[in-house]
Amino acid sequence: MSVFSVHDLRVRFGGIEAVRGVSFGVEARKTLAIVGESGSGKSASLLGAAGLLPGSAVVQGSVLHQGQEILGLPDRELRRIRGAEIGFVFQDPLSNLHPLKTIGEQIGEAISVHQRVSRREKRERVLALLDDVGIIDPQARLADYPRHLSGGMRQRVMIAIAIALDPALIIADEPTTALDVTVQASILDLLKRLQDEHGTALIFVSHDLAVVSDIADDVVVMRDGLVVEKAPATDIYDRPRQDYTRELLGAARLGGPKAYAHGKVREASRPLLDVHAVARSFGARSVLDDVSFTIGQGEILGLVGESGSGKSTIGRLIAGLDRPDAGRISLQGREYSQPGPGSILQGDLRRSIQVVFQDPYASLNPRRRIEAILSDPFVIHGTVDKVKLRETVEQLVTEVELPTDILDRLPSQLSGGQRQRVAIARAIALRPALIVADEPVSALDITTQAKIITLLARLRDKLGVSFLFISHDLGVVGELCDRLIVLEKGEIVESGRTRQVFEQPRHAYTRRLLASIPGRERLPAAARFEDVKYG
Amino acid sequence: MANVLHSAVGLPGSDRPQSPIALLLKRLWRESAVRTGAVIVGLVLLAAFSAPLASALLGHGPMQQFEDTALDEMGLPIGPTPEFPLGADGNGRDVFVRTLYGAQISLIVGIPATTIAMIIGTGIGLVSGFFAGRTDRIISQGIDVALSFPFVVTALSLLALNRGGTGQPIVPPVVVVIAVIALFSWAYFARLVRGLVLELRNNAMVEASRTIGASWARIIWFDILPNILPTVLVYWAVQLPANIVAEATLSFLGVGIQAPMPSWGNMIAEAQRTSLYQDQPWFLVGPGLALFLTVVGFNSLSAGLRNVLDPHRRRT
Repeated sequence: MSVFSVHDLRVRFGGIEAVRGVSFGVEARKTLAIVGESGSGKSASLLGAAGLLPGSAVVQGSVLHQGQEILGLPDRELRRIRGAEIGFVFQDPLSNLHPLKTIGEQIGEAISVHQRVSRREKRERVLALLDDVGIIDPQARLADYPRHLSGGMRQRVMIAIAIALDPALIIADEPTTALDVTVQASILDLLKRLQDEHGTALIFVSHDLAVVSDIADDVVVMRDGLVVEKAPATDIYDRPRQDYTRELLGAARLGGPKAYAHGKVREASRPLLDVHAVARSFGARSVLDDVSFTIGQGEILGLVGESGSGKSTIGRLIAGLDRPDAGRISLQGREYSQPGPGSILQGDLRRSIQVVFQDPYASLNPRRRIEAILSDPFVIHGTVDKVKLRETVEQLVTEVELPTDILDRLPSQLSGGQRQRVAIARAIALRPALIVADEPVSALDITTQAKIITLLARLRDKLGVSFLFISHDLGVVGELCDRLIVLEKGEIVESGRTRQVFEQPRHAYTRRLLASIPGRERLPAAARFEDVKYG
Repeated sequence: MANVLHSAVGLPGSDRPQSPIALLLKRLWRESAVRTGAVIVGLVLLAAFSAPLASALLGHGPMQQFEDTALDEMGLPIGPTPEFPLGADGNGRDVFVRTLYGAQISLIVGIPATTIAMIIGTGIGLVSGFFAGRTDRIISQGIDVALSFPFVVTALSLLALNRGGTGQPIVPPVVVVIAVIALFSWAYFARLVRGLVLELRNNAMVEASRTIGASWARIIWFDILPNILPTVLVYWAVQLPANIVAEATLSFLGVGIQAPMPSWGNMIAEAQRTSLYQDQPWFLVGPGLALFLTVVGFNSLSAGLRNVLDPHRRRT
C-alpha cells in the first residue's frame, strides 16, 4: 500500500489551472522524484495535496495518506498529520527558519507541537537529531541562530525538523537547488541514509534529472500541470518514451559535461585582460589573496568555486564595481583598477567591460519597458535619433534570438530565460571586449540553461568577445569554457584547459568538486543522448 | 522617458492585454480597506467641494451670524432643525455649513503641507542614501535634530513671530501653518527614502546601469525614483491624516486658522471653551466626527494601498 498517493489531483488559482489531473504514489523506503520545469505544477500539486496552499486555490481530486483521504480535512486535523506524519524540506532554508530563534528551540518546537515531552527529554532528542543529520558537535550548535550556519547546515537543520517525529513520508521540494555541488552531494547522501535507517518514503521535487538520478526509484516527469511520463528510474534514464523526457535528459548533465568546448587555441601573445596579484578583504576577512590570471581575446574562461570562495568578488573587481586592496587589473595593456580612491572605469574602458548578472529578475528595472532598457546604452553614449535607436535596438534583440515584439513589454511579462537574454543583449550592446557573466544560468531551468549556453558560445564566435564565466556548476562550465580556473577560499588552486582539468585534476579540491557532480551512476546510459554540442 | 520614446516611435499592431494601470486599479479595488477608505475619502472630498453649494442652498454663509433665528431667547444656540441641519454655534452660525468649510481648510492645509514635505524629504533622502559616507552622516544627523524638536512648542513660537506691530499677521496664517507642518514632516519622508535608496543602490539593477556608463542623475531618475515612488506615495497617504490632525491641533490652540474662518480645530476649541456643547452637542460632534472620519478614511486607504503596493506584503 502506498504511504501517500494522489489521484487525479487538480489545482486551480483563479482562472489558471496549474495542475490538471495528476496521479502518483510513493511506498515506504522508496523515493519518488517529481521532475519538471518551473511552472510545470510540481510544487503546486504537492502543496495542494498537503493543504498548504492559500485559501484562494481550489484543490480537487483525491489524496490518500496511509489509506485515509486527507483532502478536504479540517485544518486542525491536517496539522496533526503535517509535521508528525509528513515532514517537509523546502528549497530555501533561510526563509523557512525563524531568524530570531535558536536552532535548538526550532527543532524542539517541531517535537513539542505534537507531543508532550519534558524539557530534558526534548533537549536529548534535539541533540540526537542534530547528530543524526550530521551536524558536528551538536552541543555547541544548539544555541546558534540560523544566520550563524552555512547554507548546507541550515538545510540539515530543516531536515532535522522534518524527521523530528520520525514521519513515514518526507516531502523535499528542490532541497538542494540553492546549495553548492559538494553540499548538494552530502545532502543527497544524508537523505538516502536517513531513508535507509528509518524506512521513510521520500518525495523529491527537482527541475534537474541529474540531481535525482542517484536517489530516485520512480520518476514522474511533469509539464504544464500534466504528467508526461511516469516510470521506474531505470526506464526513465535508459529507455525514455516521451520526447519531453528525452529533452530533459539531453539538458541534464549526468556525471559532468557531455562534450567539452573545443574552441581554437586562443591564448594570444598578449592577453586581453591581465589580473595581477589581486587581493581584497572585507573588514578582517580576507576574500581574495594573490589572485593572478589572464583572459585571451575571444576566450571563455571559467571561474569555478563554491559560495564564499570569492569568485563573485573577482567578477566585481574586473567589472569596475569594486576596487582591490592590492594588485592591479589591466585591459589591453591599460591599467584601470588599483587600490585607492577615484572612479574606476572611465570612457571607452567602461564600454569595453560589461556584466551579465545572476538574477535576471533583479538586474532589469521592473518599471521600464524592454525597449527603454535596451536603448539606455546607446542613449548614454550619444545616440539621439529615435528612428535609428529603434532600429539598433531591434537588431540587438534579434542578435539574442528574441522576437522584436518583446520590446514593448515590461520585464515582469517575460520568462526567466527571456529576461536573461535581454540582460545579455544589454551587455553586448556596446560591443565590449569582455563580458563578466556571474552565474548567468544558475537561476534558470535546466532546458533554458542549455539554450543560454549555446547563445553565449555563438555570440563569442560572432562578436569575438571574451567571457569570464563564473559558476558553481561544473557541468555548465565544462561545456562552454575553453579554460578553467578553480578557486578555493580566495586562492586559485588549479587552472588549465577545461578537458585537462576534468580528466586529470591535480588538486584535491578539484577532485572533490568533480566527484560531487550528480548523476555519475547513470553515466553510461546518458552517453547515448549526446547530440548537443556547444562552443 | 520610456513613454515618450514609445509614443514617438509608435508601434502599429502592438496590443497589450491590459494596461498596467488598469490592472493596478483592479487589484486595488479588490482590497476591502481601499474600498472603505476610498468611499470615506470621497465623502470628505464631496463635503469640501459641496460647501459653497450647501451654503447657497441653505442661505447661510460660513461666517454669517443669525442671532434671530439660530439663538433662542436665552441666547443659547438651537439644536438641529431643517434650516440648521446640525444646529448653530454660540454666535448663531450654521455648524453644518461651517463643518463643510472646515473640510476645505483641512485639505487646503493638509495636502500642500504633506506634498511639500514629501518633495523636500524625498530629495534629501535620495542625496543622503545615494551618496553614502560623510554626506549621509551629516544629513542623518540633521534629520535626527529636526525630529527632536517638539512640534507644538516650536510651532507656537514660530506662529507667534508672525505678528506685525499692529498685531495683524504678516503672512497669511494658512501659509504659515502649511510651512510649519511641512517643516515637521519632511524628516519622516527623508528617513524612509534614505532607507529605500540604501537598499537599492547596490542592487544588481543599479550596478547594471553603472556598467553601461549611466550617470548618477540617470540612475536616480530612471532606476531609483520609479522604484521607490509607490512606497513614498503610500507614505504620503499615511502622513496626510497626521498633518490634518496637526492643523486641527494648531487651530485648537488658537495659533492656526484664525476665527471667524471655520476650521475643525478652532470649532472644537470654541465648543469646548464656551461649554455650549453641553446644550448643543452637535456644535462639538459635527467637527469632531468630521475629523475622525477623515483620519479613518485616509488611514484605511493608505493601509490598503500599502497592502497592494508594498512588495514585501504581496507574497500571498
